[in-house]
Amino acid sequence: MLQGFVAWTLWPMASDLAAAPADAPLIAAAADLRFALDEIAADFRRATGQDVRIVYGSSGNFRRQIAEGAPFELFLSADESYIVALAREGFMIDDGVPYAIGRIALVVPAGSPLKLDGELVDLAAAASDGRVRRFAIANPEHAPYGRAAREALQKARAWDALQDRLVLGENVAQATQFAVSGGAQGGIVALSLARSPEVAGRARFVVIPDQMHAPLVQRMALTRRAQSTAREFYAYLQGPQARAVFLRHGFAAPA
Amino acid sequence: MDTTALLLSLKLAACTVAILAPVGILVARWLATREFAGKPFVEAAFALPLVLPPTVLGYYLLVALGGHSPLGRWYEATFGHPLVFTFDGLVVASVIFNLPFAIQPVQRAFEAIPEDLRHAAACCGLTGLQSLWRIELPLAWAGLVTGAVLTFAHTLGEFGVVLMVGGSIPGETKTIAIAIYDRVQAFDSPGAGVMSAVLLLLSVVAIGITFLASAKRRRHGS
Amino acid sequence: MDPSGALTVELTQARPIPLAVSLACTGGELLALVGPSGSGKSTVLRAIAGVYPSARGRVVVGGDTWLDSASGHFRPARERSVGFVFQNYALFPHLSAEENVVQAMGHVVPAERVARARALLERTNLAGLEARRPAQLSGGQQQRVAVARALARDPKVLLLDEPFSAVDQVTREKLYEELATLRRDLNVPMILVTHALDEAAMLADRMCILHRGTTLQAGTPQAVMMRPASPLVARLVGLKNIFPGEVVEHDPARLVTRIRWQGRIFEAAHAPQFAAGARITWVVAPSHIVVHRRDRPSRGERENPVSGVVERCIELGETTALSLRVGAGERADIFLSLPTHAARRNGLAQGVAAGISLLTDGIHLMPAAESLTIS
Repeated sequence: MLQGFVAWTLWPMASDLAAAPADAPLIAAAADLRFALDEIAADFRRATGQDVRIVYGSSGNFRRQIAEGAPFELFLSADESYIVALAREGFMIDDGVPYAIGRIALVVPAGSPLKLDGELVDLAAAASDGRVRRFAIANPEHAPYGRAAREALQKARAWDALQDRLVLGENVAQATQFAVSGGAQGGIVALSLARSPEVAGRARFVVIPDQMHAPLVQRMALTRRAQSTAREFYAYLQGPQARAVFLRHGFAAPA
Repeated sequence: MDTTALLLSLKLAACTVAILAPVGILVARWLATREFAGKPFVEAAFALPLVLPPTVLGYYLLVALGGHSPLGRWYEATFGHPLVFTFDGLVVASVIFNLPFAIQPVQRAFEAIPEDLRHAAACCGLTGLQSLWRIELPLAWAGLVTGAVLTFAHTLGEFGVVLMVGGSIPGETKTIAIAIYDRVQAFDSPGAGVMSAVLLLLSVVAIGITFLASAKRRRHGS
Repeated sequence: MDPSGALTVELTQARPIPLAVSLACTGGELLALVGPSGSGKSTVLRAIAGVYPSARGRVVVGGDTWLDSASGHFRPARERSVGFVFQNYALFPHLSAEENVVQAMGHVVPAERVARARALLERTNLAGLEARRPAQLSGGQQQRVAVARALARDPKVLLLDEPFSAVDQVTREKLYEELATLRRDLNVPMILVTHALDEAAMLADRMCILHRGTTLQAGTPQAVMMRPASPLVARLVGLKNIFPGEVVEHDPARLVTRIRWQGRIFEAAHAPQFAAGARITWVVAPSHIVVHRRDRPSRGERENPVSGVVERCIELGETTALSLRVGAGERADIFLSLPTHAARRNGLAQGVAAGISLLTDGIHLMPAAESLTIS
């Protein structure tokens, strides 16, 4: 209502210049999906002529916001438990489906003394001998990739030594930012982000074996507000073209 | 350059100024001309957002306006969508957060008007409203400009409260400050750089205008 | 309705400023309200104007009640038809002289406002300066705009709060003359607040002394300054020769009262209100002290003669101020002034013996003071 008033009196051009139409469905997507999902959304637009508006962030934050009434129509979480909780609370139309399996990677920026050791043995050593002063992961409290990183570090017996040297990103994208921008000697982040061209230019990475953490089953579900476009996109995400894009970006296919 | 986000920010700033201009004038004049018990507490309450961490304000706004609050539930029942995560919610948050910027410079400007001028206006037969319009507002003009410009600029840059109360919904609550944050996370340095430069320029212009306004007031010699 | 348009003011309050004021002023009369700083003069004016909302008492103008706390009646300033000249003029700085004056003309038909404003500015000798802003006017010109604006209201009362204090001596004297001219055509009560006694004496028909919020005495300047009601008033009007004494007896046939002071007997103006034997305070005005001439004694020397030694002799231009130390027993100084040429002719200088006469009519009796210092 206020928006309409101001638009009418002060900014006549405002609505014409919107990038995506204001009625394109809002999609909440985990931060690790940025590059993969942007590509899929572009493919979707080419295939069906329809637009979606994607907001990237931490899955834990989205879980809270949807419970508060945020107007998302589809939620792609990096963690199953958030979808399950929201479904149980009645915000989703059903339990949804898994759409990908996430993997984590160790990233080592240029100039860092860390070795590219996926089993994290060198990292454990580096924690004790002082080679690593700052290490970035997503916040384990609400980011699934942060939780996975913590599990892997605990498995490698590097968690205790590293704990007070951790830099916590609000979501895994921010953690990746911290890891490669020079403030830290490395980090554990989503594989999909580590292998993206933007990161590849500044850091090397190695995949961490999936035995070192509980599986990151990424699940998605439609909310009760979902309209037709969102439902179509939901179906498209389960189709072969989308699956191929996920695989290309380092995700594993869901079981 | 995320034009939608920039326009959204400008719209939010304009709405905030439009609402706070009359509120600021009336409250500032009231505080400048009245003495009453408890006045320091009232002034402190209006000044609180200046020192309050944005996340604290965001938290309390979520509690007060969010989907579980009585106000939030009433709003959703009446308008069909929640107050938070919408532009309207941002306006509410922005108005509260900018109260000190809208009130204090204006209050100082009213206080700088000698009391005898108000008395002289009354003795001339002017009503309170005539006195405000013909005598006080022209003399307090520099303070009004400062208040409006500071409110506008401050709203453009507001981040923490907007993020907590608005989310980051493109075209609705994704302001330019949030867009910069988003670009940085997407490793789009040039994109973030362009928008930051625009905000920097707008801030410099805002500060320039407020300094010009106070210099003009000094020369006026009231 | 009181056709004379007289103003009566009674203010009684303890807070925030103690006031015990009672004064009256008829239409066409200029009353000077005189008192030292902090005596509450400005507060009284503001109470009359209606810009002092905590006033408690009564203000009636021409039969019209403006304030009556007892019945809760308070008419706000803008409805009172008051012309107020503020100490710092309070001109609206962003408006021209003409626009300032027009502000007070809400009761005039819009088509006539500018013409009337111009006429008023001409009456106050500001023709040609109508378009100037206050910052472009001298102090004296600003004062005139303030007066014009006050008159523009067609006021029922004219109030002037130390309107001459901010200008230099030369300008001030010109403004005195202008005020004296303007007021001849005004038939409303006028109150002039000042701390300068000579200004009050020059301009006012009546004078009222205010001390710490209390009106002590009102009357013509001559009456107040020659016949103060109490030692406090005497001090406030600048009289210096204040001494304790005792009534000896009254002589109604010759209209004198004899008093004793320091063993001497003086004949003072007849004051039958004091009983014989009563302790009193007496005062003599400088205008009623005559210096004995060395060369030619004169008749006046026989009235209440006193001799003493010149203690201080200060030439202040054309006037010389003297103090004469007299006294058997307690020392006392009598202050007087006389033209410098006369002082020189009589050879008056420090340490010289001299004689003076205190004229009977000038010796005024007042109730005994608790102490002679102003507390």
